[in-house]
Amino acid sequence: MADYAIFFDSSKCTACKGCQVACKCWNQLPSPLGLNANKPTHSYQSPLDLNGDTRIIIHFEENDNDKLWGVNWSFGRRSCMHCYDPACASVCPSGALAVDGETGFVRVSESKCIGCKYCKSACPFDVPRYHGAQSKINKCTGCLDRIANGGPVSINGGTGQTQAQFSVPACVHSCPPGALKFGPRDEMLRLAHERVAYLKAHEIDPSPHASVYGEDQLNGTHVVMVLKYPVETYGLPANPQVNPLTGLLGLMKPLTGLAAAATVAGLGISFLTGLGYKRDKMHYDEKKHEQVDLDTGEVLWRSDAVPGPAGDEDGEKDARPAKKGGK
Amino acid sequence: MSVEITRRGFLQAAGLAFATSMAYELSNQSSAFALDTDTEWKLVNTEEYTNVCCYCSGGCGSICSVRDGELISLEGDTDHPINLGALCSKGAAMFQLRSVVTEDTREVIPNPNRKTRPMVRRPGASNWEAIGWDAAIAEIARHVKTTRDASFITTDQNGVTVNRTEAIASLGGSQQNTEECYLILKSMRSLGLVAIDNQARV
Amino acid sequence: MTGHWNDFKNADVLITCGSNNVENHPESARWVQAARDKGAISIVVDPRYTRTAAVADVYCPLRPGTDIAFWGGMINYIIQHDMWQKEYVITYTNATYLIDPAYEFNVETGMFTGWDEEHQKYVTTSWGYQTAETVAPNTGAGGAFAYALRPGTPAFTPPDKLVPKRDMTLQDPQCSFNVFKRHYERYDLETVCKVCGMDSQTLEQVYRLYGQSGARDKVGAILYALGQTQHHYGSQNTRIMTLVQLLLGNVGVPGGSVNALRGEPNVQGATDMAMLVYDFPGYLKWPTAASHATLREWLEHETYSDGYYTNKPKFFISALKEWYGEHATVENDYGYDWLPKIGSLDFTTMSTFEHMDSGLIKAYFLWGMNPANSTANTKFARQAMSKLEWLVVVDWVETESACFWKAPDLNPAEIQTEVYYLPAALIYEKMGSIVNSGRWLQWRYKAVEPADLAKPDYEICDLLWKEIVRLYSTEGGRCPEAILNVKWDYHRDGVIDPRCVAMALNGYKWDNAGSWETRELLSTFGDLGADGTTACATWIYSGFYANGSARFDPSQQKVGGRSLEDKTGLGLYPGWAYAWPLNRRILYNRASADAAGKPWNPERAVVEWTGSEWATNDVPDFAFQSRAADGTVSWIPPNDRAFMMTWEQNARFVCSTMKDMPLPEHYEPFESPADNLLNGRQNSPCIMFADHPSVKRSDPAEYPIAVTTYSVVEMWQTGAQTRGCPALVESRPEQFIEMSVELAEEKNISNGDTVRVWNNRGDVKLTAFVTRRIKPLKVNGELCHVVGMIHHWGWAGSFSTGDTVNDLAPNVGDPNSFIPEFKAFLVNVEKA
Repeated sequence: MADYAIFFDSSKCTACKGCQVACKCWNQLPSPLGLNANKPTHSYQSPLDLNGDTRIIIHFEENDNDKLWGVNWSFGRRSCMHCYDPACASVCPSGALAVDGETGFVRVSESKCIGCKYCKSACPFDVPRYHGAQSKINKCTGCLDRIANGGPVSINGGTGQTQAQFSVPACVHSCPPGALKFGPRDEMLRLAHERVAYLKAHEIDPSPHASVYGEDQLNGTHVVMVLKYPVETYGLPANPQVNPLTGLLGLMKPLTGLAAAATVAGLGISFLTGLGYKRDKMHYDEKKHEQVDLDTGEVLWRSDAVPGPAGDEDGEKDARPAKKGGK
Repeated sequence: MSVEITRRGFLQAAGLAFATSMAYELSNQSSAFALDTDTEWKLVNTEEYTNVCCYCSGGCGSICSVRDGELISLEGDTDHPINLGALCSKGAAMFQLRSVVTEDTREVIPNPNRKTRPMVRRPGASNWEAIGWDAAIAEIARHVKTTRDASFITTDQNGVTVNRTEAIASLGGSQQNTEECYLILKSMRSLGLVAIDNQARV
Repeated sequence: MTGHWNDFKNADVLITCGSNNVENHPESARWVQAARDKGAISIVVDPRYTRTAAVADVYCPLRPGTDIAFWGGMINYIIQHDMWQKEYVITYTNATYLIDPAYEFNVETGMFTGWDEEHQKYVTTSWGYQTAETVAPNTGAGGAFAYALRPGTPAFTPPDKLVPKRDMTLQDPQCSFNVFKRHYERYDLETVCKVCGMDSQTLEQVYRLYGQSGARDKVGAILYALGQTQHHYGSQNTRIMTLVQLLLGNVGVPGGSVNALRGEPNVQGATDMAMLVYDFPGYLKWPTAASHATLREWLEHETYSDGYYTNKPKFFISALKEWYGEHATVENDYGYDWLPKIGSLDFTTMSTFEHMDSGLIKAYFLWGMNPANSTANTKFARQAMSKLEWLVVVDWVETESACFWKAPDLNPAEIQTEVYYLPAALIYEKMGSIVNSGRWLQWRYKAVEPADLAKPDYEICDLLWKEIVRLYSTEGGRCPEAILNVKWDYHRDGVIDPRCVAMALNGYKWDNAGSWETRELLSTFGDLGADGTTACATWIYSGFYANGSARFDPSQQKVGGRSLEDKTGLGLYPGWAYAWPLNRRILYNRASADAAGKPWNPERAVVEWTGSEWATNDVPDFAFQSRAADGTVSWIPPNDRAFMMTWEQNARFVCSTMKDMPLPEHYEPFESPADNLLNGRQNSPCIMFADHPSVKRSDPAEYPIAVTTYSVVEMWQTGAQTRGCPALVESRPEQFIEMSVELAEEKNISNGDTVRVWNNRGDVKLTAFVTRRIKPLKVNGELCHVVGMIHHWGWAGSFSTGDTVNDLAPNVGDPNSFIPEFKAFLVNVEKA
C-alpha cells in the first residue's frame, strides 16, 4: 500500500487560516450567512471547535515564555489525523468511512453515512462532526478527489499550461509559508525529524520541547506534525488512546441503517462520553477562556487570550457558533 | 516543495470505480450542490484562467476554474513563483466575492452582500432607488457639467492659465487595474480636477 | 520596493519594523522562512508580539511612533562599533560631499537651520552642498542634452550642473557623513530605551545582529509597511531606514533593500499612474501654477542637470502626445495649457474633507474607495461628505461611503447629497494588468462575465466620458477644448478594450493615421523623443506590452510571461511577468558590486565587471554602455555612479529635497503620552493640519493610553470586501482591542468584555482581548500602557457590522506624503 501523509510544521505556521478557508471553498462548506450570526470567540481562534460545516481549524494558545518579552504562541492544526488503524472506520457500520488504498487516508463517502455517530465515539481526537437533518458525517476527506484528479491544466484559452495544479489537498495547496506539505509518509517524517533537530539546536531561540507528532501515536497517523512547544499547547492529547469499547462497536458493524442508529441510542449518552479523548460535553468558560470537561472538571485547553480578574462563571456551554438561517 | 504526485499514477489506480460512480453522480446531482468528494470530481470540463489576488500587494497568482460561464473554483496558481499555489485566508476566499454556499442545502448562490445593479439615493431620502445604467450615466454626466461649468477657473490671479475646477474630487485607483487607473486619471484630469488621490496616502 | 518578494530568501538577516508582514502580506512568510532555512536571522520590532513575531528569532518591543529613535540608535551603534560598510559608503553615497557651512541642528530648540517663520516652512538651501564648479549643459553631439536641439522639441534651457565639493578622506567636518554621524551621537542605548520603552539588552541584541550585515559579503533586508509611514514624520521614518541600509551597504544588493510592503493590490500601479494630487504618470510632477505656469517652466524646473532624469522632457512630451494625440503639437506646447494647474490650496485626502466642509468641493467620485470608514477622523469626514451635492460610488458592495447617509450618527432627512452607486465587476470578471509591490506587472485574464448588471470600471469610465464629451460637443460650456481635444481612442470594434490602453501605457511611434492595429510599439523608453514623434502614457512601462505581432494577446506579451527560468537561483525570474523599468528585478543593482565591479558576495552576483565588459544577470541599473555618434557601442568601466536617478548619481545621507528634515530627527507623535527626550521640540514643526479645528487634539492627562491601529490577516482595510465573505467573517467574527493584563487589571476589564474606547474625536465599543503579547513599557521611568485596535468594521454589510475605529484617529499628517497619523495617538478605555 502506498503511504502518504500531510506534514504540518507548527514552527512555520503563521496561523493565517488559509487552510481553514481553502477547505471551506474547495469542499463547498457553508459559513453562517445571517447578520452577526457568528458567535464571538474572544480569541484569535475562530470557530472554537470543528463543527458540522468545519473540517479544519487553527488552534491558538499562548503561554508564558521565559523571556522578558513575548509569549510562546502555539499554532496548532485541528483536523482529522488519518490514523493508521482508524477506529472510526473500524466501527463504521455503513462503509462511509474506509481506509483509502492509495494513501492510507480515511476516506469519506457521505452518501453512505447513516448518521449513527459511532465514529465520533471511537475517534481518539474527537474529530467527526455531523450536519443536516440526517446527521451526515463531516470530517476531512484528505481531498482524495484532488489527489486522484489533479495535474497539469491548460490555461488562458490554451495559451499555456500549469504543472501540478489541484494535485494536493486544498489546505496544503493554500499554505503561504509552506508549513503544510503532502507526500510519501517516510519522506514527511524525515522532514519532521530534520526540522525538530533544527529547532532544538537553534542558536538564538532554541525549542527544547520540539517534537514529532503522529509517528508513534496510535501506531502512527497520516498527519505528521512538528510541534515547537509542548504537545498539550496544541490542543492535542500527548498519548491518544483508542477506547477498548471500539472493538465492541466493530462487532456491531453488520448492523446497518436504522438498526445501528437505534443501537447507539440505546447505549445512551454515558456510553458515548465514556470513550477515549473527547470534546463532547465541554464547557467553554468565557471569563477564564478555558475549555473544561464537564465530567472530570479537567481543563482541556486554554485559549490564546489570558484571563482577567475573576468574573461571573456564566459562559456558554456550546462552543459552536450560533447558526442562523441565510438571508 | 511538496513531493509531486503524478496525475497519471493516481488516475490509473483510482481507475474504473471512480469513473463509474462519477457518471452516476453527475446524472443525479446539480453542480450547484455540495460535493460528495468521494465520487464527484469538481472540475469536470472546466476551463482555467489565471488572475492576481485583490488584497495585499504580494501579487499572488490565482487560477479560476470556469464551467458553462460560471466560476466553479478559485485557488492559488501552483506555478506562480511568488506564492507557489498558496493563498492566505483572504485570497482563498475570493470565490466568495461572487458566490456563497447556503447553510441548509449547501447550494452555491450569488453572494447576497454584493450589489450588482445601479442605485440612486435622492436628496433627503432614507433608501436607495433602482436606476438604469443609461439614466445613471446621463444624470451623472449632467451633474459633472453643471458643477464643472459653475466652478471652472481658466486663469488665476497672476494671469497663469490654470484650467481647473476645485469643486469636484476623485479618490481611487488602488483596486482597479492599471489600464483603468489611466482612464480614470485621464478623464478626471481632463475635466480639470486637481483633487485626485488614491489609497497610497492611507 | 527596489527588490521583490522572492528576494527575501537571499538575506542573511531580516528586520521587520512597522509591518506585520506575516499577517498582512502572508506570502512574505514563505520567503523569510526560506532565508531562515539557510541560517538567516529574522527580527521583529513591534509594539505587540504579532503572528510575525511568533515565527521570528528575535522580538523587540517599542512604543508606537518612536521609530526614528530606534533607528537613530542603530546608526550610532553601528558607527561606534565600526560595523559600517566603508567602501560602499564612500563610493556610492554623498558621504564625501561637503555640506553648506551654515547647516546646523539646534538640540535645544529641535530645529534645523532655514526655518521661515512667516511661511512656517524650511528654506532648505543650508542643507545643500558646497559647490566646487558650475558645468554648463552639453547640447553638442553625444551630449546629454543634444536632443534639446531637435526639431519638434519645445524650447527650454537645460540646467547647469553645480558640482559639489568633496573630501574623499572624510576629514572635513562638513562631510555629509560627518554631519550624519554627529547628528546621531545623542542616540545612545540608554536614551533610546527611555524613549522607546524596551530594555537595553534586547535592543543591543537587535543592533548587534542587524549590524552584522555591514560585513562586505553579508546583506540585510528591512521590511516595513504602514507602521512606518502613518506618522506625521512617516517619510523620515522611511528615510532613516534607507540611511541604515546605505550605512551597511545593503541597497541594490540581492537580499537587501528597504522593502515597502504596499497594502493594496494595485497601489503600485495607481501610484505609477499618478492618481495623486501632485504627480504626473511615471513619477513626474503634475504642473502647479506657481512652478510650472508654462511648458517651458515645467521643463526647466523639472529636468535634472545630470543622471537619467536629463531625459525627463522626452517622457513628459511623449505622455502629452498620448494624452492629446494629433491635437498635441510643438506649436501649442503639446496641449500643456489644457492640463489643470494646481493652485495654492492642498487637495490631498485629508484636505478634501476640509474643503467639503467649507463648501468648496461639491462633488466626489469614489472608485473602489471607502473614506467614510477609512480616513483619519472618519466622523468628521462623514459630516463633511454630508455637505456634498452629489457623490458617485463605483464598487462591488454597498460600502459605508455609499451609504454614509445611513451612518448611525447622521440623519438622512438632513442630507441633500444625491448618491449614485454603480456596480463594478470583480477582478476575475474583466481583464487588465496589475502591479505588485515588487514592481511586477502581471496580467489578469477574464474568467467569467460580470455578475448581473455589473460592469468593469473601464467600461463605466468610458460610458461616462463619452456622455460628457457628447454634452460638451452639443452644448458647449466652459473650456470645452480641454475635453474635446483629449484622445480617447481605446476601442476595438467600437468596444472599449484595456489592451488598447496597455499599448498606450507601453508607448508607440506616433503616426497621425495610426490605429491600435498598426501602431509600432516601443520596447524601451530609450526610444522616446521629446519632439512629438513618440507617444507613451507612462515611460517606466515601456516594453511591458510591446509585441506588435500579437497585440491583442497578452500571453504573447512580456506582461503575460510565465517562464520559471531562474539561472542564478536568486529568484529573479526574468521571464515571469515584467518588472518596471525595463524588466529590471533589482533597482540600483550597480551597488551589488564593489568599486571595481566585483560582487560583494559571488553567490549574489547580479552584475560583474570582467575587466573588459559587464556580465549581467539582471538588467543593469546604471550607464554600462555608451553609443558613439557612428553607432559604435563600447563598455563603460566601473565608476561610482550607482544611483542614476539622482542628479548626483550617488545616494544621500544629508539631503535637501525633503520638506521637514535634512536628517531624520525624533519627534513625538501629535498625541503622545511622553515628552520628547531627544530635543527641545515635541512635534515636527512641519506637521500638517494640526491647526484644523476638526482635529481636536486629545490631552494626555485625559487620554493617557497610547494606541496603535492595524490589520489582521482575515480582514482587509475597511472590511467592505472581507466582511462580505462568510468564511472570513467566521474566521474573524468580531472587532477587538488588545491590551495588557496589567492595564486590564487596572481597569477591571476581563477578556471578552465589551469596552468603550474614546477620545476627543470619537467613541467606539469593541471586544477586549486581554493578552501577554502586549506589555506595558517603561518610558522615561514611567509606566506607559499601549493598546492596539483593528479597524475593519463599519455599519454597512449583510454579514457583520461594528463601530468605526478610524473615528478616533487624528487627521494630522506628514508634509511630504500627506499620510495621516493612524499609528500613534491617545485614547482612554473603560469597561462598557
